[in-house]
Amino acid sequence: MLRQIFVVSAINIRSLKQRPWASLVVVVGMACVIGVLLSMLSLTEGMMDAYDKTGDPGRALVVSTGAQGEGNSSIPRDKARLIMDAPGIAKAPDGSPLADAGLNTGIPVYRLSGRQTYNNLRGFGPKGVMLRPEFHIVSGRMFRPGTRELIVGVLAKTQFKGMNVGDKVILPDGEWPIVGSYTTGDLLDGQLVGNTETVMKALRKPAYNSVLVRLTAPSAYSTFKGALTTNPALSVDPYLQTEWYKKIGANTFAFFKVIAYGIGIILAIGALFGCLNTMYAAVAARAREIATLRAIGYGAFPVALSVILEAVVLSVTGALIGAGIAWALYDGADGSFGTNVFKYAVSPSLFGLAMVWAVAVALLGGLLPSIRAARRPVVEALRAT
Amino acid sequence: MMKFIPLVWAALMRKPVRVVLTLLSVMVAFTLFGLMIGLNATFDLMAEKARADRIYTWPRFGGNGVPVAVARQIEAIPGVKAVTALGFIPGYVQDPKNQTFLLMLDQNAGKVFGDWNVSAEMFDAVWKDRTGIVMTKAQAARWNKKVGDTFTMISKAVKRADGKNSWTFKVLAIANDVPQNSNGFIFGNYEYIDKARPLADQGKVSEIDLLADDPSASTDVAQRIDKKFANSATPMQTITEKLARSGNDFGGLDIKKITYGVALAGMFMVLFLTANGIAQSVRERFTEFATLKTIGFSDRAVTAMVVLESALPCILGAALGIGVAGILARQIPKLMPPNFGIPLPMISPMVILWAASAAFVVALLSAALPILRLKQMDIATALSGRG
Repeated sequence: MLRQIFVVSAINIRSLKQRPWASLVVVVGMACVIGVLLSMLSLTEGMMDAYDKTGDPGRALVVSTGAQGEGNSSIPRDKARLIMDAPGIAKAPDGSPLADAGLNTGIPVYRLSGRQTYNNLRGFGPKGVMLRPEFHIVSGRMFRPGTRELIVGVLAKTQFKGMNVGDKVILPDGEWPIVGSYTTGDLLDGQLVGNTETVMKALRKPAYNSVLVRLTAPSAYSTFKGALTTNPALSVDPYLQTEWYKKIGANTFAFFKVIAYGIGIILAIGALFGCLNTMYAAVAARAREIATLRAIGYGAFPVALSVILEAVVLSVTGALIGAGIAWALYDGADGSFGTNVFKYAVSPSLFGLAMVWAVAVALLGGLLPSIRAARRPVVEALRAT
Repeated sequence: MMKFIPLVWAALMRKPVRVVLTLLSVMVAFTLFGLMIGLNATFDLMAEKARADRIYTWPRFGGNGVPVAVARQIEAIPGVKAVTALGFIPGYVQDPKNQTFLLMLDQNAGKVFGDWNVSAEMFDAVWKDRTGIVMTKAQAARWNKKVGDTFTMISKAVKRADGKNSWTFKVLAIANDVPQNSNGFIFGNYEYIDKARPLADQGKVSEIDLLADDPSASTDVAQRIDKKFANSATPMQTITEKLARSGNDFGGLDIKKITYGVALAGMFMVLFLTANGIAQSVRERFTEFATLKTIGFSDRAVTAMVVLESALPCILGAALGIGVAGILARQIPKLMPPNFGIPLPMISPMVILWAASAAFVVALLSAALPILRLKQMDIATALSGRG
């Protein structure tokens, strides 16, 4: 049986070059489906990756009750002090809690296209850097607390104007020079950072936006959370930082996935009809050859399977080409949506997805023709012209 | 041309499976084409319909809103016709998963937003019955509300003076949706809602919208507002509606580039399919074409037949596909996560024209090579079946 499958499939694949154009229909169709699907998903994938990296399971973020983003959360100073005294927070070398009250506010900037938009300006307090081992100054220097200075993430300049070291950012009290650039490898790479207290003074903000803490261990989170939620003086929502970034990104990711998969499915249905067409034609073209094989004792199953295998080979070839094009165009490309700055990603898991789609379309598109090939009466097929 | 139709029909019907599969594939590609070009058309329409005299302004550096007094100061700026102040209460219904929001409108809202599908009576209704709200059909459907029902929203972001966090209203009217906002909206009485907040939070709005006297001067008016408040306690960020809606932009993504790219990929896919189909069909009937030429069919007549054979499934598929796109477009809001609307694709005459042109181009490109082959055919060789 296996030998039969192998022989029939080998004959089949070798005969492909006799029908190059018909075969190309499947290859091109699948290349279009996967090229479009993966190009669209590369945005979601890149953005999700940036969100995932920003979250650290060893850190917890505290926002005011019901806040849907750091921007609309407000933590007054006295509450911030209470939060930092909660159990479960790791200690800095000097014995103080490894926690930082932060700021996250939108400031108006221009996209490279000239459109008005916002970028995130974050405030780091005294522990801002210590809490984030992923943070490194790349060029220039760190801002000085108390001085009107900012630093900028390395990716901001790929999307917004005026985001280079030496540029100036306008805040309510005048121009703030950018004195350095940093990288964190996550969402912060698209943002601006200044000293929390200094920026709050300039923006006349009376309260912090959030408090970020380093937990003694990820398992200490329940202790920390319990202390905050049972304290009647606080009305705050603690989150493991990883959970927070899942929560705030969920709707955006769902939206882009609906669009990408919707478009991908429509295209795949079109490609499926093309695949059916090609495979029916292939079966018809090989009718006599198949009948001969059946006459000399080959089973119906190896014949049917060979048709499906042909469809799979063509479809997977097309998917690889499509995935390759999407990868060449978008993998690592600079991108942004709203205030999120990230790099598009055509990851290995997207290649895997492409293969699954390719095989699925080939199975659906090859099944009916393969049944026809296997069922056709041998005598009739042998007489066929 | 008409006299060829029976011949072309007979040719198509010789391989019905191939023709039907080609037709279906073309239909699907044009469904996508319709959705993509239709989405772009909606963005185009929004840019075109943008009112030249309308201007939006909001606190430049975010924060806790802008004092409503700023709206009165803006009214005093030369060139300003009408000003309305808006508040915004984010919240949810029953479960935090069911996010929505409430707009708080003042008495001037109708003057500035006369082009919403909200009648003057509906705007007035919330002024006569202060606990009332008006919602659009999309929101009414989402919360299963009809006129007279009670609507309760929980908001933890906006505090109430009485310490509760639930806001209860009566549905006074249900308005039609506007195409550019498929999620719909709910609005209530600004003053009533404002008074329910703690004293410290009262008198603040999220945004101020206005009309300029002279549409051609709206950019100047916008700049005057920015300048007037640049060094105040609340610097403002001002933009004209025309500028805000230009460029088919969605959060920094270029809708035109994306929709055209996807539509083109679909066309490329069917081009290979139809070209292969017609080439195969002509190859199979090469001898017959030789016969036709022998009995006096001109090159032109043969060309016309091939083009017709190629065009029929393309045009029919395009028509069906655009129809399906029109139906699918209306289902899009059901698939979207809540509060994440995108304008709905619309099948405008321009979209139909684009689809027809694309169908013709695909048909002609598909027919090109077979036609060339038929032109160069040596009739004697072809008749002998050796072509």
